[in-house]
Amino acid sequence: MIRDFLKNERVFFISFAIILVFIIFGYIRPDLLEVVSSSVHSAILDYFSWLYLLSASFFLIFSLYLALSKYGTIKLGRDTDRPQYSFFGWVAMLFAAGMGIGLLFWGVSEPLVHFLNPPSFLDAATPGAASFGMKYSFFHWGIHPWAIYTIVSLSIAYFSFRRGMPALISSCLYPILGERIYGLAGNVVDVLAVFATIFGTATSLGFGAIQIHAGFTYLYGVSSAVSITIGIIVIATALFMASAILGVEKGVQTLSKINLTLAVSLLIFILALGDTSHILDIFTSTLGGYVNNIIDMSLQSYPFSANGWSRDWTIFYWAWWISWSPFVGLFIAKISRGRTIREFVLTVLTVPTLFTFFWFSVFGGSALSLEQSQGVDLGAVAGEDVSLVLFAFLENFPFSSLLSLIAILLLLIFFVTSADSATVVLGSLTSGGSPFVPTYKKAIWGLSLSGVAIILLVSGGLHSLQMMAITAAFPFMIVMILLCYTLYIGLSQEKAGK
Amino acid sequence: MFENTLIPVAYGERPDELKNIGVTLKNFGARSVCLYHVHESGSFFRASDISWLMFLQEALEEVGLSIEVKRGEGHIASSIAEAAMFQGCDEIYLKAKRRWHIETMLLGSVSQDLLRLSDVPVFVQKIRPHLPDGSDGFSHDDLIVLYATDLSALSARPLPYIKEFHGARCHILHVRDRMADPSTERRRRDDVAEKLHGVEEELTPYFGQVTSEQRIGDPATQVLHVSDWLKADVVVLGRKKSTSFSAPMGDTAERVVNESKASIFLVP
Repeated sequence: MIRDFLKNERVFFISFAIILVFIIFGYIRPDLLEVVSSSVHSAILDYFSWLYLLSASFFLIFSLYLALSKYGTIKLGRDTDRPQYSFFGWVAMLFAAGMGIGLLFWGVSEPLVHFLNPPSFLDAATPGAASFGMKYSFFHWGIHPWAIYTIVSLSIAYFSFRRGMPALISSCLYPILGERIYGLAGNVVDVLAVFATIFGTATSLGFGAIQIHAGFTYLYGVSSAVSITIGIIVIATALFMASAILGVEKGVQTLSKINLTLAVSLLIFILALGDTSHILDIFTSTLGGYVNNIIDMSLQSYPFSANGWSRDWTIFYWAWWISWSPFVGLFIAKISRGRTIREFVLTVLTVPTLFTFFWFSVFGGSALSLEQSQGVDLGAVAGEDVSLVLFAFLENFPFSSLLSLIAILLLLIFFVTSADSATVVLGSLTSGGSPFVPTYKKAIWGLSLSGVAIILLVSGGLHSLQMMAITAAFPFMIVMILLCYTLYIGLSQEKAGK
Repeated sequence: MFENTLIPVAYGERPDELKNIGVTLKNFGARSVCLYHVHESGSFFRASDISWLMFLQEALEEVGLSIEVKRGEGHIASSIAEAAMFQGCDEIYLKAKRRWHIETMLLGSVSQDLLRLSDVPVFVQKIRPHLPDGSDGFSHDDLIVLYATDLSALSARPLPYIKEFHGARCHILHVRDRMADPSTERRRRDDVAEKLHGVEEELTPYFGQVTSEQRIGDPATQVLHVSDWLKADVVVLGRKKSTSFSAPMGDTAERVVNESKASIFLVP
């Protein structure tokens, strides 16, 4: 009996053991953890950064191929299934799941950082650098991340809703692994998914906590010691764990809706009170530049001039999205039952992307305008601490304190809802895909998420968070390439009537 | 079924070797053989000198086969394929391995073309079965046949030929992709097992033992693997029409023909 229990819970125990070793190691020897993770991270970037670029481009091409080919008419579910959510509700949930904290963190700061620190072939703080900054912000938050999510969510949705398998990554590899999905090979795949989810989500939570802390420091002069950031993580952990353990699903849904409403209100407010026509100009021009250069940017690592820049930004983002993909993929799959592959792919690739572009145009574009034409020195703030830029930016608008508080509230709610969902997803991944996750697993994964985020912050801050996202994503990227193959096998068998 | 066989021959062919082939072909039901030589216009040898062909004819006649000698010109493989059709031959017999490696290589390209072009089944003699020297030749009693089938309607074409082989054992092999989920896989496995059982029953009267199996994986790799494991003498395959992206005679057939140690009987 105990043997059966251990066998059934193998994914849980292996994943938890790895994460526990990581936390203990990071607690005892943060310096050594930094050295080890730096070496692994450097090795991955030195030898495989090209693979990240190729894979992300391939995922996009493959998604579009599925949508526009004969497979586009296949439904994610039984033929009689109808979509559970209205189109608007579905898109809102897609957006909330896919981006969240990151948009708030990078919305203002990314275009600004590119503007001030462009690759070496561009002069800093020039119109060219501004245009480059906007274009690359669109690129990093554009269609590629959603293509990455699409691969995982399509695979899970197809194999679980249409083929009746458990909602696990290993299930999607049945055409390759066969019955071995129930053995060690399948367990390894699910452990990799857990590993990627933990580090991807911990990275986002780390960003969120850093920025909430920065907000309090900026507004109320709270100490900038890392212990305060840890305190914020502890409080947020208590909130999201209570939510996850008590199963307040409706509460989380309500929080998500409130968050989306607050985010859209903030967007409209900044658009209305900022230089509206200039923002719209930026949106249109950057969209043109993005569409025109997408192939070049997709495969560009600037090997002769700015290889490091590409690694620091593009590769980091692709890795981050990949590490988020098991979590977001499972969530998106769950809400997309009953939609056709064409409807799913085309909507997921376009609607949230356009909203994100608009977000960056409003926040990033306005920040660049303030910097360029109104002489507001946001660059100096960014140089000091990138997490402060959002609050320094909001300072230039009426009711700035209120706006900053709203931003902090948004970050906190995003933190709670993301971590809550991640906890449930991790529980499901380690319970054979079951939607009914035991409380002790939710508690363990919730604590693990926060533990990892704290350890990463203590051992190296923002840089550590980025490094671990890249490292954790690497093995899962290989799994994703296999997912494309198995998905194609499944779809082609279905069309061939086998 | 194998009554009339066309054997393409070239200058330098050894009469004793051809005699061994003749004995074996006779054991498999051959009554007449058409020795066919394609004269290349730039050839070093004079077209009028056909004494060597006469020697070969005599050697085969000793076996008790009715021999006809024919000659043609032009593209070697096309000419052989055309002649086999016009002569109403049941099969073309090709020897893949020659005395000199260069000969094997030169013949290799002809074999490839012939396998692709021929409308008549082609038997490619490889390392197995070993043709013994002497008067007995290789007999049905020792023959192990591997029949690789994808169970489509087209792949049933080799069945009448397989029946003619008789032999000690026939192993039917179906290689396929794994289905995308366990329940479809189970259904597919049962369905294939049933079909294979049907083929098994059809072939049982002709062989001492008939077995079948289904495998998952790359068809060519699995066919080669099973052929070696079984020590098969002949691998029987159907030739598929090539698509724009596939090898000229189908990826599986091409790889099996190139790499198999067992002889190949390819049915177009």
